[in-house]
Amino acid sequence: MSCIIAKNLSKNYDSLKAVNDLSMSVKKGIVFGFLGPNGAGKSTTIKLLTTLIQPSTGSLTILGIDAIKNPLEVRHKIGVVLQQPSYEPTLTVEKALEKYGMMWNVPKMICKNRLEKLIEEFDLKDIRKKRNEDLSIGQRRRVQVAREFMHDMELLFLDEPTVGLDPSARRKLLDYLKNKVKTGLTIFFTTHILTEAEYLCDEIAIIDKGKILAVDTPDALKNKFGKEKTIKIHLLKNQHNIESLLSGIPDCKIDFQTGTNITIHSTQSALVLMKILRILNDNEIEIDDLSATPTSLEEIFLKMVEENVYNI
Amino acid sequence: MYTIFRLVNRNLTISINPAFLLWQILFPIIYIFIAGFAYTSLIQQVPFGDKGLAYPAFLASGMIGFNIMNSTLVSGIIIWNDRKYGMFEQIMSGPFTRANYILSNICTIGIIGIVSAALITLIGYPVFFESVDFSLITIPMIIFAAVTGSILFGSIASIIATKLRSSEGFNVILNTAFLFFAFVSTAFYPASGAPEPLKTAFYLNPLTYLVDVIRAGIFGNINEFILIEMAILVVISTILFVIATKLLTKLNF
Repeated sequence: MSCIIAKNLSKNYDSLKAVNDLSMSVKKGIVFGFLGPNGAGKSTTIKLLTTLIQPSTGSLTILGIDAIKNPLEVRHKIGVVLQQPSYEPTLTVEKALEKYGMMWNVPKMICKNRLEKLIEEFDLKDIRKKRNEDLSIGQRRRVQVAREFMHDMELLFLDEPTVGLDPSARRKLLDYLKNKVKTGLTIFFTTHILTEAEYLCDEIAIIDKGKILAVDTPDALKNKFGKEKTIKIHLLKNQHNIESLLSGIPDCKIDFQTGTNITIHSTQSALVLMKILRILNDNEIEIDDLSATPTSLEEIFLKMVEENVYNI
Repeated sequence: MYTIFRLVNRNLTISINPAFLLWQILFPIIYIFIAGFAYTSLIQQVPFGDKGLAYPAFLASGMIGFNIMNSTLVSGIIIWNDRKYGMFEQIMSGPFTRANYILSNICTIGIIGIVSAALITLIGYPVFFESVDFSLITIPMIIFAAVTGSILFGSIASIIATKLRSSEGFNVILNTAFLFFAFVSTAFYPASGAPEPLKTAFYLNPLTYLVDVIRAGIFGNINEFILIEMAILVVISTILFVIATKLLTKLNF
């Protein structure tokens, strides 16, 4: 069953089409990644899906509810962590969590237990008595995400939740989210850190200029758009003529070379690799290191966005 | 708990802090007991209806209105802070409507206004108790003033908060407006002795009507003019409340 069904959703600001005829469906109990460059329409889409703004055209069903007709009903069932910080500067961390639980009508005892659990899980013990205004950006972000778990929800929208977090806190948060999804929560997650999306998301949509370019699982996207493999060679000595030596190999696109470092893209990597090794051997060129890796999600993303730019 | 009460609870938690409470009590005490008695040598008796009031009693009753107005600054500060620190958007993405948000603000300043009026009445009582003409309508008159005053000045503060984004602009405009309301009114001195243009300016200021109503309630001088002033307060506060609500409803994310 789908918990988000958007059909031909558009949002116009005067002549600007921030979201352009967007249609998608998000299954229950998964992490749905929403990727796009800055200004692609990610935040506008989140604002539409969380009923903060009304679409110019199209229809939207969230958790089986018509979100355009009954936005308040939808908001009772969702959680939202917006991209920009949100906090009450004068409240301490624990007071802010407690008051947020109260605002969501969470019974006092549950609120108290949840608060203690979240303080533990989000590593907020040392700052629980600190006022929000005295926290660092990363600490504030952790509190903002933790706060959203003070109430029950079926669907959680996270707009770039890891911005400002250090790598360890980032990984902890992603693992926490993974565990939450196992309990039945659905997460709509926007980011432009593609390794994060690859690690966390079950399905990914790539958006640019308000339009969805592709939607699929990370593996399927890689298979569909990333048949190429990347071959990286590091030579022991500088070879100025390396480009001309390899130029005769078919399907061997030299993307980058410094004389010692060479990056090659090829859809027939095994064959190309064998030919490269033969040429290097024949010319007595020594190799320091060599690797062949599948195309990353980041490369697919960059390629799609770039092609989209040129197609427009 | 009802949605609005939950928001009121949150508003009171974020806006009431020891510094705010101290200021709300300390400032009127300084005015009533220091300025009030210091100016007695200059203003001995203030004509009020068919009797004369001692200046400290006149000032103490004016301070009730002034404090109601001052406490409603909270409304503007809540809205402005919520916008600045992202809480307005966060609350609106939760189980609340804009109407809930607006009503909770009005309730918050209503509560603060009534508590503030009660506090100053208690503090000022030793000063004006000799002139008090307590009747059945004294307390309803003060509550009326607290509620309409809170809505009126709270709406003004809210309008300023919705229109300004920079903290400097917000503080300058709000303080200038409230400074005008405070000193171009009959809160601190009577209109009777003032030059004609200033006297006219006093009656362009809603705080004048507010303190007139409070004084009428405390010192028992309810006449036709006071009833007109009450009607004007209701009309102005309604108009300003509608404007503030419309502006808040139109706030973009």
